[in-house]
Amino acid sequence: MDNSGRADAIVRFEHISMQFPTVLANDDISLDIRRGEVFALVGENGAGKSTLMNILYGLYQPTGGALYVKGKKLANHSPGQAIAAGIGMVHQHFMLVPSFTVAQNIMLSREPRRSRFFYDFRAAEARVRDLVREYGLAVEPGARVSQLSVGLQQRVEILKTLNRGADVLILDEPTAVLTPQETDELFEVIRRIVREKQMTVIIITHKLYEVMAISDRVGVMRAGRLVGVHDTRSVNERMLASMMVGREMLFSQLDRADTQGEAAIEVENLQVLDDRGLCAVNGISLSVRRGEILGVAAIEGNGQSELAEAICGLRPLRGGDIRVLGRSIRGQTPGQIRAIGLSHIPEDRLSTGVSTPASISDNLLAGKQRRREFALGGLHLRRRAIHAYAQKIFEKFDIRGAGVDAPAASLSGGNMQKVVVAREFSFDSPVLIVAQPSRGVDIGAMEFIHRCIIEKRNAGCAILLISADLDEVFRLSDRIVTLYEGRVTGRFPAGGIKKADIGYYMTGHRQQEASV
Amino acid sequence: MKKTLQALLALRPKKKLNGEYLLSLGASILAALLVGAVIMLVSGHNPLEGYRAMLHGALGTQRNLGNTLAKSMTLCLTALAMAVAARAGIFNVGGEGQLYLGAIASALVGAALSGMTPWLVVPLCLLAAAAAGGLYAFVPAWLKVRLKVNEVITTIMLNSAAIYFCTFLANGPFKTDERGIASGTAQLDAEFMFPKLIKLSNLTSAIFIAAVLALLVWYVMQRTSVGFELKLTGQNPRFASYMGIKTGRLALVSMVVSGAICGLCGMFEVFGLHKRFVETVSSEFYFDGMLVAMIMRYDPLGIVLMSLFFGVLKIGAMGMETVGIPSETILIVESIIIFFMAAESGISRALREKRARRRARRQSEIMLEKGAGA
Repeated sequence: MDNSGRADAIVRFEHISMQFPTVLANDDISLDIRRGEVFALVGENGAGKSTLMNILYGLYQPTGGALYVKGKKLANHSPGQAIAAGIGMVHQHFMLVPSFTVAQNIMLSREPRRSRFFYDFRAAEARVRDLVREYGLAVEPGARVSQLSVGLQQRVEILKTLNRGADVLILDEPTAVLTPQETDELFEVIRRIVREKQMTVIIITHKLYEVMAISDRVGVMRAGRLVGVHDTRSVNERMLASMMVGREMLFSQLDRADTQGEAAIEVENLQVLDDRGLCAVNGISLSVRRGEILGVAAIEGNGQSELAEAICGLRPLRGGDIRVLGRSIRGQTPGQIRAIGLSHIPEDRLSTGVSTPASISDNLLAGKQRRREFALGGLHLRRRAIHAYAQKIFEKFDIRGAGVDAPAASLSGGNMQKVVVAREFSFDSPVLIVAQPSRGVDIGAMEFIHRCIIEKRNAGCAILLISADLDEVFRLSDRIVTLYEGRVTGRFPAGGIKKADIGYYMTGHRQQEASV
Repeated sequence: MKKTLQALLALRPKKKLNGEYLLSLGASILAALLVGAVIMLVSGHNPLEGYRAMLHGALGTQRNLGNTLAKSMTLCLTALAMAVAARAGIFNVGGEGQLYLGAIASALVGAALSGMTPWLVVPLCLLAAAAAGGLYAFVPAWLKVRLKVNEVITTIMLNSAAIYFCTFLANGPFKTDERGIASGTAQLDAEFMFPKLIKLSNLTSAIFIAAVLALLVWYVMQRTSVGFELKLTGQNPRFASYMGIKTGRLALVSMVVSGAICGLCGMFEVFGLHKRFVETVSSEFYFDGMLVAMIMRYDPLGIVLMSLFFGVLKIGAMGMETVGIPSETILIVESIIIFFMAAESGISRALREKRARRRARRQSEIMLEKGAGA
C-alpha cells in the first residue's frame, strides 16, 4: 500500500487532513496516484472522498499535510492553478451554460477571437471538432447544451477539461445520473483516453461493480480515513463492501425479550421513484411484527432510503400499498402518519432530522408543541415546562453540548443523533423507522443508541432498521432482508446467514426466492 | 427601487440575532456615523454641529418628536410585516403594493360611507385595508405553495401592478369631483381621521393600534405554538413537514397576515395624513421596513428598537438641511450600515474558519510533538 517515493506518482497526497468546524473530513491521508491509471475512490456518503478531491482541485485548502502534482508542491492553490497544473474535475452537478452551444461551453474563457474583439464562432467549432476527433467523444459542436441528454452533457464537461489541457481527470460520481448504457459508453471513453492519451483518471463512486469494471486500483475511505488501497484484481465487491461499512466492535450482549405480536408495518408490492424519476423501489413486499426488528441490509442507492421515506409519507407511492397498524398510508401526510403511531429517525439528520439553527430545546419540543402540557390551550407556550422537559431529556440521554438553549448546529454528529433519537422515541409510537441510526457516531453513542432500540423492541414496538453498517444490522435484527436495485434479494432469520455471505445478496450475485 | 432591492437581497439573513451579531451591528453603525462625519468635514461642515442638528431635527421639539414617532411607526409595521412572512421562509417583497391596495380600499370605503358614525366606519375601513392587503398577498403565496413559483419575483411584479392600478383608480373612475385636486379619491369626513396627538405633527392615535399590532405580532411569533411552527418552517421546511407541521398552510397564513399589516399601514397614511388616497401615499416605505427587518434578522423586539433609530435618522436628516448639510449625507450613512451588515456574515465566517484552522494546526502540532517525544 505504501509506495511513496515512486517516480510514477503524478499526484501525491502527504498526510492530508481537513478539519471543518465540526467534523474531521480527511484524517491524515497519504496516497499516490500513478500516471496512466484509473483510480477508484470508494466510500459511504460523508466518508471524505469528495473533500479529498476538492482539495486536489483547489476548492478547499487542507488544514494539514502537503500535496504534490508531478513532483511540484501545490500550496494554497486555486482551482485556476490546479487547472494549470493539469487537473480537471467533472462535478456531480454539471457546470454548463444551458443556453450556450457545445462549442461555446467548451471554449468558455478561452474564446478564439477575430480582430482581437469579435468572437470567432467558426474557429471555436473547428477547435471542438478537432477535440472530438482527437478523443473520439462524439458530440455535435453546434448543438445547444439544454437540448442534450445528461450523458452527452457529461461528455461536454469532459471535453471542456481536456481542452484546458488536463491530464488528470477527476470524475465525481459520474454514473449517478447515467443510464446503464450511458455508463458503458462513459467507461469506453475513459478506457480510450487512458490507453491512447496516457490520461490519469480518478473516479469517485460507491457502486462497487463499476469499480471492478473500470479501475486499476481502488482506495477505500471510511469516516475520513483511507482504510485501504488495493489492486482491483486482488479484491472483489464483497471485500470492498465490508471495508466500506465494517467497523470493529466489542460490545456487550443485548438482552432480548420474546414479545412478538401482530404485524404493524405491511408493505405490499411497493414501487417508489427516486428524485430523478427512476424506479428506486421496484416491488418490495415485507412486514414487521410488533416486538421485532427487521433489518434491511443494502449498499447505498439500492432503494432502502426511498423505502423508508415512502413509509413515513415523505415520498409518494407509485404502486402497491403500505399499511401502518392496519391503516393504509397512501396519500397521507407525514403528520397524519405520525398520528397513526409512527416515529422516524431519518438517515440525513442534518437536513431532515433536526433544524440546525433552532435550539436543542426547540428540537426536542418539535411535534409536541400543541400538547396541553407544553402549551396552554394548545397555543401559549409554557416556557418553564418546556425548559424542564428539555433539561430532563438532555440529562437522561447524556447529550454533550453547551446546554439546551444552544443551537443544534453546535452539537457533534453523535450528540445531534441523540437529540433525534430522544425526540422520536419520546412519542411512544408503536412503529419505528430507524435509518442509519449510528452513522458518523462514535462507539459510545452507538452503544447507547443500540440499547435504546432494543429497549423499544422489548417493549413491543415494530422496528424497521435500515443501515449500511452490517455489524449493526446483525447485532440488532431479528430478521434480515437484503435489497439490491430496489428488490428484495434475500430474507434470513438472525443467525440464518453469515456476515461473509450476505454480500452476495447485497450485490445481486445471489437471489433467493423463498421467503422466511 | 432596483438598487434598494439589490442591497436587500444581499442582506437576506439566514441566522438568528445573537450577541456577536449585535456587537458588529453596533460597530457598523458607529463606523457609518464616522464616515458621515468625515463627509461633513470634507464638505466644509462641522460634524458635531451636523449631528446636533440631526438630533434636534428628530427629537428637539414636540413636533419633531411626533414626526419621528410617526415615521418609526410606519417603519416598524412594515418591518414586522416582512418578518412575519420571513419567519415562515417567504420573502415578501410585495408589501409596497399591498400597502397601496390597503390605502385605496380604506379610502374608498371611507368615502362611500361619508356622514355615518366614525365608530362604524373606521373599523370597517380597518377591515377593508387588512382584507385588501391580505388578499393581494395571498396570490403570490398560493403560487409559491402550490406551484413553487419563486415569491421574490411574483411579489416584485405585483408591486407595480398594484401601484399602477391604484393610480388609475385615483385618476379615473374614483377621481374626486373637488376642484383644484389633480388626482386622488374623494376626501374623507374629518370625523373619520385619526386625531393628532401632537399639534402640527404627523403623530396620530393610529400609533396605539400599531402598538397593539406590534405586541400581538411579537406574542404570536415568540410565545405561541403557532409561532414555533412558523419558525421551524422557515428554518428547515423539510424538517418541519417531517415533524408533521402543515407547512403549506402556515406559509399561506403568514403571508396573508403580512399583507394585512401592510394594508393597515396604507390605511394609517390615508386616515392619519392625506385624508384621501393619493398616488404619493407611500414612497417606498415598505423597502425601508424590509431593511430594518433584515438588519435585525426578523427579531420583533429588535425591529421596534431599530425602527426608532431609523426614524431618528430619516427625520433628523431634514433637520440637518437647516444648517446647510444635504440630507443625502444621512442616506450615505444608511447605505454604509447596510453595506457593513451585508458583509458581516462573510467577515465573521472568514474569522470563524481562520480560528478553526488555527485550532486544527495547533492540535496537529501537539500530536507531532507527542509523537516525537515517544
